[in-house]
Amino acid sequence: MSTTTAPPAPPAPDATAETAGPSGRLPFWVNQQLGLFVLVIALAALFGLLRPAFFNAQFVLFPLLSDISTLTVVALAQMVVLSVGHMNLAVGRMASFGAMFAGLGYDRLHLPLILGLLLCLVAGTAIGALAGWVIARTGVSSFVVTLAMDFALLGLVSLLYTALTDNAAFTTTPSGMAELRSYSLADICAGPICGSNAIPQLGQFAVLALVGLGFLYRYTRTGRELLLTGANPAAAELSGIPTGRRIITAHALSGLLAALAGFMAAVSTGSFRASIGGEFMLPSFLGAVLGGTLLTGGVVSVLGALLGTSLVDVIRKGLDLLGVGLESLNIYLGGVLLLALSADRIRNVVSYRKVVRST
Amino acid sequence: MNIPNIPRDLLTSVAPAIRRHSRSTETTLLAVVLVGCAGLAIASSGDFLSGNSVRTFLQYLATPVLIGLAQMVALCVGQLNLAVGALGGFTAAVMAVLMADAHLPMVVVVVAGLLIATLIGMLTGVFIVATRINGFIVTLATMTMLLGAQYRVVGTRTVDGYSSFLKDLGSAAPLNIPLVFLTAVATAALLALFMHRGIAGRRLLAAGGNPLAARLSGISTDRQIVLAHTLSGLLIGIAAVTATASLPGVNSSVGGDWLLPSFAAPIIGGVALTGGSVAVIGTVLAAFLMRLIDTARAQFSLDPSWVNFLIGVVVLGTVVGGRVRQSRVAAPLPAAAPLPAAGGAR
Amino acid sequence: MSEVLLEGREIVKVFPGVRALDGVGLRLEAGAVHALLGENGAGKSTLIKVLTGVHPPDGGQLLWRGEAVRFRSPLEAARTGIGVVHQERNLVPGFSVAENICLQAPPSRRGMIDRAAMSAPALRCLAEIGVDLDPQTPVGQLSVAQKQLVEIAKALFTESRVLLLDEPTASLSPQETERLFEVIRRLAARGTCVVFVSHKLEEVFAVCDTVTVLRDGQSVLDSAPLAQYTHDDVVNLMVGRAHTTAGLAPRTCDTASPPALALSGVSTAAGHRDISLDVRVGEIVGLYGLVGAGRSELAKAILGLDRIEAGEIRVHGTPVRINSPRQALHKHGIGYVTENRKEEGVFLEQPIVRNITVTVWRKLARALGYVPAKEERATAADLVARLGIRISGLQQLAGELSGGNQQKVSLAKWLAADTRLLIVDEPTVGVDIRTKRAFHELLWELAGKGLAILLISSDLGEMVTLADRVVVMGNYRRLGETDNDHDYEEMSGRIIRLIHGRPEEAVAPAERNPA
Repeated sequence: MSTTTAPPAPPAPDATAETAGPSGRLPFWVNQQLGLFVLVIALAALFGLLRPAFFNAQFVLFPLLSDISTLTVVALAQMVVLSVGHMNLAVGRMASFGAMFAGLGYDRLHLPLILGLLLCLVAGTAIGALAGWVIARTGVSSFVVTLAMDFALLGLVSLLYTALTDNAAFTTTPSGMAELRSYSLADICAGPICGSNAIPQLGQFAVLALVGLGFLYRYTRTGRELLLTGANPAAAELSGIPTGRRIITAHALSGLLAALAGFMAAVSTGSFRASIGGEFMLPSFLGAVLGGTLLTGGVVSVLGALLGTSLVDVIRKGLDLLGVGLESLNIYLGGVLLLALSADRIRNVVSYRKVVRST
Repeated sequence: MNIPNIPRDLLTSVAPAIRRHSRSTETTLLAVVLVGCAGLAIASSGDFLSGNSVRTFLQYLATPVLIGLAQMVALCVGQLNLAVGALGGFTAAVMAVLMADAHLPMVVVVVAGLLIATLIGMLTGVFIVATRINGFIVTLATMTMLLGAQYRVVGTRTVDGYSSFLKDLGSAAPLNIPLVFLTAVATAALLALFMHRGIAGRRLLAAGGNPLAARLSGISTDRQIVLAHTLSGLLIGIAAVTATASLPGVNSSVGGDWLLPSFAAPIIGGVALTGGSVAVIGTVLAAFLMRLIDTARAQFSLDPSWVNFLIGVVVLGTVVGGRVRQSRVAAPLPAAAPLPAAGGAR
Repeated sequence: MSEVLLEGREIVKVFPGVRALDGVGLRLEAGAVHALLGENGAGKSTLIKVLTGVHPPDGGQLLWRGEAVRFRSPLEAARTGIGVVHQERNLVPGFSVAENICLQAPPSRRGMIDRAAMSAPALRCLAEIGVDLDPQTPVGQLSVAQKQLVEIAKALFTESRVLLLDEPTASLSPQETERLFEVIRRLAARGTCVVFVSHKLEEVFAVCDTVTVLRDGQSVLDSAPLAQYTHDDVVNLMVGRAHTTAGLAPRTCDTASPPALALSGVSTAAGHRDISLDVRVGEIVGLYGLVGAGRSELAKAILGLDRIEAGEIRVHGTPVRINSPRQALHKHGIGYVTENRKEEGVFLEQPIVRNITVTVWRKLARALGYVPAKEERATAADLVARLGIRISGLQQLAGELSGGNQQKVSLAKWLAADTRLLIVDEPTVGVDIRTKRAFHELLWELAGKGLAILLISSDLGEMVTLADRVVVMGNYRRLGETDNDHDYEEMSGRIIRLIHGRPEEAVAPAERNPA
């Protein structure tokens, strides 16, 4: 029966294919992405008004965008597993695991920058695939498996750093890494026109990840199969989707992205150490969930991960500039998460009521 | 869902209960713990069984037991509580500061600490119920907020100038059994009684096992969620008290390493994440096992990182082993299929 | 006339975009068995939820023994004396039978459960419906039928004067159903009003006294004596137009080429022994049996979800070994329309276009796995038109559709993949009569176009209408086979004889009756 739809739904153009969640049939002002976008811009403007230093390209925007780049990749790493209805609690530890291999490659094998990155990604993919394989093979909840993985990697990575290095860090940096860290678009010129010095080159990885995942979820068979596996594993299996393989795909991809984020974090700080990724778990969920990805699987929002992460980081930076202590920031961040989600809930309830009343 | 370890009324079904228990997670755990103790005793050439090391062992077992139980209560109704460590740390910090800086009497502070933790747990539950936001996300948020709050309270210092009476209580050990450990055991016993015999406990489990059935029988699942978080908060409060009593001082890192063990204990102990199951003894034994690993690590003077690594491996081994055993008992997997239908893999 | 227990007047209930109930009247009398009928989506479930306090009504009046009442929760309704046995199993799996029965008001002393005192009332309730069960058994160990009886006992514990049974026979065998009817009659005799909701009209006529028929949220027949109406009258009231039973165009099947699917002497890890059957191209073969006969399990074994231990499966003459549903689909063209629509059939929270094209992405995919959205939409739109699925747009979520339309979506994905053999498991359970009819025509037409169909159904009428041959199964064995002459009386006699024409089940498992 088609009568449960709110307005006489027009044959929707396919542009919103990736976010065809429940929000897809509610009025436009319930659109989470749009709301986030407006909120990010408004907050940035507000902070800019209160502290004009907020718009300082070199000292505020550049590091801010670096952080957003890294954490967006982290949020994407979480989003990928959420799409199959799973979680990856080991996202931070997979990042440090991957980064460790990059550091090892640079330090011992004297690899060039790009090969070290490759090694890092391969390691991350492998550890993610292992988690996925255990989950698919045994059917144990991903929460438990990745939690155990988190424990194991936490121990393993520190042990390896202790065994392999003198002061628990790889500090050898290949040529090009310093540039990657400090260069912005201002260092890339097409003739006389140079880019903005606010946008870090590190951002290219985030853009690459966003485009890649956007393509995956919107246009490809694998992306659709991931979503349907998340939406209903039993029906997916009976419909001929290799659900076991898709679960492994999702976790491997999550490991890959986590490792990429670990590499980016290491590039930003300049050294490879066990503590990389220690702070990743919260932002990974913050970004993905604020962006509109469902914990239950089946609905993702690639762009939302960027917007959600941006919101968090803009607030963090803005409050920092306003003189709120770094550690106390956490209080506000937790509050923002609750507020944002409650507001979302209220919007949904209000629009639901409106629809009911008009019936 | 076939949870083997809900002890039934012993009066009416002693024999079946024994049969059930002979193959339960708890029995396996008990065996592993005994073997581990024996092994450690041999490796330490008897030192491990000396009065002093037994006391130390039990002294630092109290808090892990309590946080494991706090998590278990949340799991009972199908909720997760990510704020276990943060709430514990925050409560401990508040209590320490109240005693050291405000010089309030110890009894008042302990009561206040328990009340604060319980209240925060209850507010978390109310918030989850009121907004219908996933408990995972809500507790993630409260965890973040509490971490910030804990830092606000103690800052970078280590508060140690608090009530020496509490510290004396913390190190008191009648019959060589530390008081804090007795507190934990008594709490566990009360909790077991509550869960197995108490009306409220049974309601909690009914709501976790089949929310719809519970609702139709007039059990408000919302209220059970609030109750579970409240109870979880109370247990965390007790854990914060034992921690404050046992530790030399309280700083912003207290509670930072509680989260993972709090999940490990009930999961190893045989509690299902889906709700409706309870395993007090299993959780206690699992905490015991983890403490054993830590002690063994110290015995062989290994890097502390080994503990995390080993606990990770043990958790993985437990759940995977449990699943394999289950599927072998139930129905053999299709041998030809490289990857069996991962229907339940969420 | 006996006492009126519960009366509803002009009840209205509104959900977003739909008036689920729009002026429903209902009168439940003590000692009566009251049938509540209506197509899917007519508002039966909503009415039950309003009567039991799950949803507050948005308009109208509820009267309990003549006094206006307003239930704010299921508990209030239950305390008043309205019990319900839902389609969903409402038992706590970890608890014992006794504790489940007493869940609403467990005997207790000072906040502690009194387990010893729990057995007595549980046993009393079980005895009242003539069920012999150990109250200490965990309900997780009971069969579906036993669980249902425990649920009825549970309703008795709360001293329900009105007991609503929502599709109670959906997963019961005929014997179990007969047993349930005895319980229902016993309950009515002691002054309870039993409300019986079922799609199976035969059962309704067998056990009910009065009837209410809902259509489009309104009561078109309000608490009338059932004896005054014939089977066809009731169907007409439900459907709202004359229900035609015109025959379907004749159809022939291909007997020359090898069968699309042939099982010979198949034994499975699920417990099937020595099963042989074949389905030819363009043929509908019925697989009939009681619940628990192992039919769906056989289908899943064919799809590779359970191990084949002995025997041989041939697809179009070639011996095959199928390891997974995707192999069955992509390599052998076998599709399976599950009986468990909501859990295994459709993706409720996903758009229709994805629900239909899930099986063809592999075929549509280009380089890098790119699936052209245009072709995807075209495929889905084509099937929506072919099957007459009523939707508001391809992006509509499947969960918003009615049961019948969901079932069509579930079928559409297999047609999209051009399967050559379709295993259809209970296609019309919980589907209203109009859709059922359309479904039968559809299956018939598909077979006419050369699709081989293995039809699993517990609905004998459906078997007789559709199947060319009927294979009867019992206890994971083949009991026999009979050609269908489309005569209901004749066929039901033959099939019942096949089912009972052998010694007690499981006594001599090695024996097998040849057809």
